[in-house]
Amino acid sequence: MTQDPLYREIILEHWQNPQNYGRIRNPDIDVSQVNPTCGDKIRLTGKIKNGKLTEVAFEGEGCAISKASASLFTQQIKNMSVAKIKKLKNEDVLKNLPVSITPARHNCALLCFNALRKGLK
Amino acid sequence: MKNNFKKDFPIFKNHPKLTYLDNAATTQKPKLVIDAVTNFYSNYNSNVHRGVYDLSFKATEIYEGVRVKVANFINAKDSAEIVFTGNTTEAINLVAWGYAKKNLKRGDVVILSEMEHNSNIVPWIRLKEEFGIKIFYLPIDKNFELDYEALFNAGLDLKKVKIISLTQASNVLGTINPLEKIIPVLKKKCSNAKFLIDAAQSVVHIKVDVQKLGCDFLVFSAHKIYGPSGIGVLWAKQELLEEMEPIFSGGNMVEKVTKEKAIFAPPPAKFEAGTGKMEAVAGLGAAIDYINSIGFKKIISLDQELTEYGLKTLNKIKGIQIYGSNKSKNRLPIFTFNILRLHPHDVSEILNRNQICVRAGHHCTHVLHQALGISGTLRASLSVYNSTKDIDELAKGIEEAKNIFKV
Repeated sequence: MTQDPLYREIILEHWQNPQNYGRIRNPDIDVSQVNPTCGDKIRLTGKIKNGKLTEVAFEGEGCAISKASASLFTQQIKNMSVAKIKKLKNEDVLKNLPVSITPARHNCALLCFNALRKGLK
Repeated sequence: MKNNFKKDFPIFKNHPKLTYLDNAATTQKPKLVIDAVTNFYSNYNSNVHRGVYDLSFKATEIYEGVRVKVANFINAKDSAEIVFTGNTTEAINLVAWGYAKKNLKRGDVVILSEMEHNSNIVPWIRLKEEFGIKIFYLPIDKNFELDYEALFNAGLDLKKVKIISLTQASNVLGTINPLEKIIPVLKKKCSNAKFLIDAAQSVVHIKVDVQKLGCDFLVFSAHKIYGPSGIGVLWAKQELLEEMEPIFSGGNMVEKVTKEKAIFAPPPAKFEAGTGKMEAVAGLGAAIDYINSIGFKKIISLDQELTEYGLKTLNKIKGIQIYGSNKSKNRLPIFTFNILRLHPHDVSEILNRNQICVRAGHHCTHVLHQALGISGTLRASLSVYNSTKDIDELAKGIEEAKNIFKV
């Protein structure tokens, strides 16, 4: 079967079974972010130990792009040093997705990253 | 179903495959309206109410002629009761800040409903925060209709109800509220209340008659009735306009100005400070001509056909949940729905690939979505240039989305 140009297998998989979905107890980071385009909301929680993000989870409403991107992103940053996370750029997050996303959906794909950026400020 | 009106709209010549189903947000414009706008600039451009010269006289004639047209369109007693505003939102704000701020005091009540657009909620929330008025929301029942009798069991002092502001038709549910029936009942029980009708959705679908409705204020926008954006209408009874305060002040709205004092002009000029959107007013006039040329008899029968076919076709889709009555009576051809657990944005993205334009999100009705317990929906809203084929395209697109997401 030919794959959809946007909704690739990997996006559908992470949409169906998002990784790191839920909430961390007694978190060091607890931040919510709204997608200005659609009003969808994500809540990101995490624990920091010795300058490292040892635990991270997200929950909330979202489209397939935002859910899959959040799932992939939390996998990417788990156990990463906070210093390194702070240096991440939008492109580093968009790179997790198997296809390039149109600017109209950037807010969806970057929702989780924007939440974390706010949480680490 | 053959559609006779699509050919009047240039956008469909430029985008022959376009399936435009976002008419509750804004309608497309017929050539007649586009021409009226350019014609104003090409042939009559000069400031209205100003010059003594012929060109300005002619521009004023067009501008004031549209005011008369609007008055006839909604059966106002006098064209002086028609105030041009920027849009529906501005018109409601004018009632809130020009009338309510002056006449309501702490503890007075404004009645709204859960199916209101943000434009008929947020100005009242601001008044609540600034002046301590109360807001009571009429709930919607399980048939997606207004439960106005809930007001009588709410334990409110009905003498304190000073404003009742309701939409005539919901931009999400499609419900047409039976205001002819509701207004006399509510006015009898709330004898101190003034009635504001938000006709933004209804005025292009059903004949609106302010005298028959027995309301005090009525508002709508040109851009939702085939007219230009940036122009709207507030109709109010003459005596209310007399006592209302203007929000903006400056040129055009004064009779006399000295170093110390300004005497306001009588309404409607009192509320139209500065140079208006002259070309848009000309376009609004053409939009009303267009609607009148079709006639409400035809519009209503078209709507009925589209509503019936839409409900029948969409209800065949497995996993669809429609938020709105499943009966086609007293209902606009607006279909708001969700498909299983698909996110509205994902479905709309796939529909967009086939040039099907629908709205995804909460359609400026956060309160309604909260009442329904949902975060977002898809909405297809239809107009005179839509046909059953557009509904078939929509259904096909939804099935495609289901396939892609394997649900």
